[in-house]
Amino acid sequence: MTVSLLTHLSFYLPEAIAILTMCGLLFVEAAYGMAERGRTLVYITGIIGMVLCLALLGSNVGIAPISLFAKSVVIDSFGTSMKIIMVLGTLGTFFISDKSTDIYENLKSEYLIMATGVLVGGMLLVSATNLLTLYLGIETLSILSYVMTSLKRKESTSQEAGIKYALYGGVTAGIMLFGMSHLYGLFGSINFADIAVGVKTLEGAKFTAALVSFLLFFVGVGYKIACFPFHMWSPDVYQGSPVPVTAFFSIVPKLAGIAVVTRVTMTFFSAESALGDVWSIFLQVIAALTMTVGNLAALRQESVKRMLAYSSIGHVGMILMGVIVMNQTGTNAILFYGLVYMFMTLAAFFITGFVVNRYGSDDHVFFRGLVKNYPFLTICFVLVLFSLAGLPPFGGFVAKFNMISAAINSKLYSLSFIAAINSVISLYFYIRLAKTMTLDQPDEETEELVEYTVPARIYLAALTIPVVVLGIFWDKIYKVYSAATIALGG
Amino acid sequence: MSQLLNAILWLPVIGIIAVLFTPKGKDQLVRYISLATTGITFVLTLFLYAGFDQSVGKMQDQFTILAPWIEQFNINYHLAIDGISLPMILLTGLLFFICVLSSWTITKSVKAYFSLMLMLQSSVFGVFMAMDFFLFYVYWEVMLLPMFFLIGIWGGENREYAAIKFFLYTFFGSIVMLVGIIALYYATGKGSESFNILAMHGGQFADMTVNIFGTEWAFNKIFFWAMFLGFAIKVPVFPFHTWLPHAHVQAPTAVSVILAGVLLKMGTYGFLRIAFPIFPEAAVEYSTIIAVLGVVSVLYGAFCAMAQKDVKKLVAYSSVSHMGFVMLGLAAMTTQGVNGAVLQMFNHGTSTAMMFLMIGVLYERSHHRWIVRPDGSKGYGGLATHMPKYTTIFIIGMFASLGLPGLSGFISEALIFLGIYKKFTSITVVAVLGLLVGAAYLLWMYKRMFFGEVSDEVKGYSDMNKREVFYMLPLCAAVIVFGIFPAPILNIMKASVGNLLTILNQG
Repeated sequence: MTVSLLTHLSFYLPEAIAILTMCGLLFVEAAYGMAERGRTLVYITGIIGMVLCLALLGSNVGIAPISLFAKSVVIDSFGTSMKIIMVLGTLGTFFISDKSTDIYENLKSEYLIMATGVLVGGMLLVSATNLLTLYLGIETLSILSYVMTSLKRKESTSQEAGIKYALYGGVTAGIMLFGMSHLYGLFGSINFADIAVGVKTLEGAKFTAALVSFLLFFVGVGYKIACFPFHMWSPDVYQGSPVPVTAFFSIVPKLAGIAVVTRVTMTFFSAESALGDVWSIFLQVIAALTMTVGNLAALRQESVKRMLAYSSIGHVGMILMGVIVMNQTGTNAILFYGLVYMFMTLAAFFITGFVVNRYGSDDHVFFRGLVKNYPFLTICFVLVLFSLAGLPPFGGFVAKFNMISAAINSKLYSLSFIAAINSVISLYFYIRLAKTMTLDQPDEETEELVEYTVPARIYLAALTIPVVVLGIFWDKIYKVYSAATIALGG
Repeated sequence: MSQLLNAILWLPVIGIIAVLFTPKGKDQLVRYISLATTGITFVLTLFLYAGFDQSVGKMQDQFTILAPWIEQFNINYHLAIDGISLPMILLTGLLFFICVLSSWTITKSVKAYFSLMLMLQSSVFGVFMAMDFFLFYVYWEVMLLPMFFLIGIWGGENREYAAIKFFLYTFFGSIVMLVGIIALYYATGKGSESFNILAMHGGQFADMTVNIFGTEWAFNKIFFWAMFLGFAIKVPVFPFHTWLPHAHVQAPTAVSVILAGVLLKMGTYGFLRIAFPIFPEAAVEYSTIIAVLGVVSVLYGAFCAMAQKDVKKLVAYSSVSHMGFVMLGLAAMTTQGVNGAVLQMFNHGTSTAMMFLMIGVLYERSHHRWIVRPDGSKGYGGLATHMPKYTTIFIIGMFASLGLPGLSGFISEALIFLGIYKKFTSITVVAVLGLLVGAAYLLWMYKRMFFGEVSDEVKGYSDMNKREVFYMLPLCAAVIVFGIFPAPILNIMKASVGNLLTILNQG
């Protein structure tokens, strides 16, 4: 379909709005500086931008896929659905950052600017259909992430995390580029569509070369989603970063990475091919190891942020199951998991942030007997933890159910059993935290905290209610996602 | 009448809402609301009994409620009952009503306690009514949340460990079951996948295979064991029983009653409703293993009970032993055996509830449960002289558990032995030994606690008050009446058990 550039741009409005929001934030910050009025204005700008972005994305749901800018990006419902989740996640972390004392007051507007920037990179990544835009997306996403990690400038853990993240990111990006260059050499194109045609007819030495290039390519993406064995950076980065940044990292870059893996797998390997079989087995091993390593490591963590980091590695392993099956059941499951995961993660980090604000640390001991002083907050957190563990009637259960059922539908019984065992492992550290909060005695009786206000309660309820509702009435949203993913693949 | 199951299932939820909206500090009102809710629910279950057609074995048109829930997966809100679930529903209705009364003395976070109790009741009803496998699983798991907090907050000194252990064990069993559920769903046929439990009955999965870790397995065998694991942990069958003594000892009285009286039956109910009729070939093939596990549970539970110094732990192990009899009856797969097993499920529910309640009554006075203290000195002693009312009721409960002819336990155990004798003669002989050990530990306990000199400590105890006697009376009546005249229960289950056996014998 040939359409003019202007028409192209009209489909690209959500991204344009996100970029404009970033510019607007920069302007407001420069003009008003650190004054109280400026801070409010920054938040208002950010929220308006995100809401506008959401509205435009919403109007894009359900349209037929359309390739833009010489087939470098595609606007389809799968990507749009994922972007909606990412924008919601970004918006959610704005609220967390507003309350958080973990970010220096004068850096909050910078947080907003950079988060919006990462979001732009993520959105590009989600819809990339050639290697160059993909790389561009990853780099936009990464470079700003490195800076965000070190936002707590005065603390060595934050600096260390930033350096670690940057070094690791640089190396993996290099390896990925190396893989990409081979792909170009092999297929003579950087367009996904052309490569997908070539993949089906590979033989002999070319097959081996293509396999190696794809594996190298996976390094870069695998690093973004923090799957085994590229997960080592994530606990340190999560622990070192300020709470809102950690929340942001476990949602936006991760989901963008998942979307890329999904798109790449669906485009290249969903049709019958020898390389597809190898890729599937490779991803199965990665998924099994990712969830097992993540969950086992989470067992003994005393820092709640670190525990959540490891547990999110576990969740990535689970989500990869939806990629492996390479069909619509799988992609539906990915979107649903992403949505529920976003709500759960935001709630978990909001409460962790609350404890960090209160006690200056996210250590397990500070959660002791939280229910005595903050019953509503604790009940919400307990519900979210049970949902994370995958217990009905919460969204986390339905998400897990969809994943396992996608796997079993494709006869991946071994992987399903591994996922089941992992659920049990993860249950242990989630209920351990739930136990700490509800059953243990607090060290001190404290007065109600000032920051714990009505908006905070509303925010928390707004995150917890979807977690419960998505566990019971999930047919509507599932229907939307089924319609969204129908065009993906092939 | 058509909405009766809905009413029973959701009334406790309405109760929860009412409890949560009670103003602060009105604890007594919370208690009365809970009592009224469970009371009305119990009466409704009696209506269920009155309206039940005993001649229908298959679950057609017995109070069925069917509404679509998740259309994409063909998941339905599907409730129905038959003669196997009805006794369990009656038991649940009765025991929760009694438990609310026995929890009158709870003073710690009353609102939370009673709302969790009601939540537990609703989810237990859900398990016994659900005919959609997905719905069944949801209720099966939802039940864990209130149990975790009930044990963890209102339990004894080691409650947190017990709560987590209980939670992890059960969750392990059920998540493996979940894989089985989903596998069954996709095995029901391309394009017509369904979670309908009744549609899965009848052994249609006999010829399928699955590939796990590179090996081909028979579909019905591997998933029979997946289901088996889920249910066996719940029953609990040896060697999956290790969570039970901890959970029982730490749980508050009412929760122990529910745990032993109702929740353990969910495991055996799962065998009757799911594992056996869905995989009849596998069930028949492995009946010897089930029988052996059953008899090991009987003996192991009995011997462990004999060694206990804590009377609650003793009763907890006796539950393992008595549920072993149920497993034996199931493994027999004969009319007497299965009828006996279902009857034993009901009878054990009433008798063990009595035992736990009586221990609770005593605990409220003494704040310990030692028959013999860990240092070797005497715990209770001479209760018989000092507390006559208590002793009378205790004797009834104890003899019912022990299987004295004329009381309820005898009939069900006799039926089980009748049913199993021809099939597993040697196992039967060994199991009878378990009965003997059972009599021994109960009588020995009785001798040590009730006879002998009245210790100074015991002199300070008051005998049972009116409330306590009142809530024990229905249970006393149940063990005596159903001991002499078990027909009301046997009649309702007969046709359904017959239907189950038809399925099993085809396989």
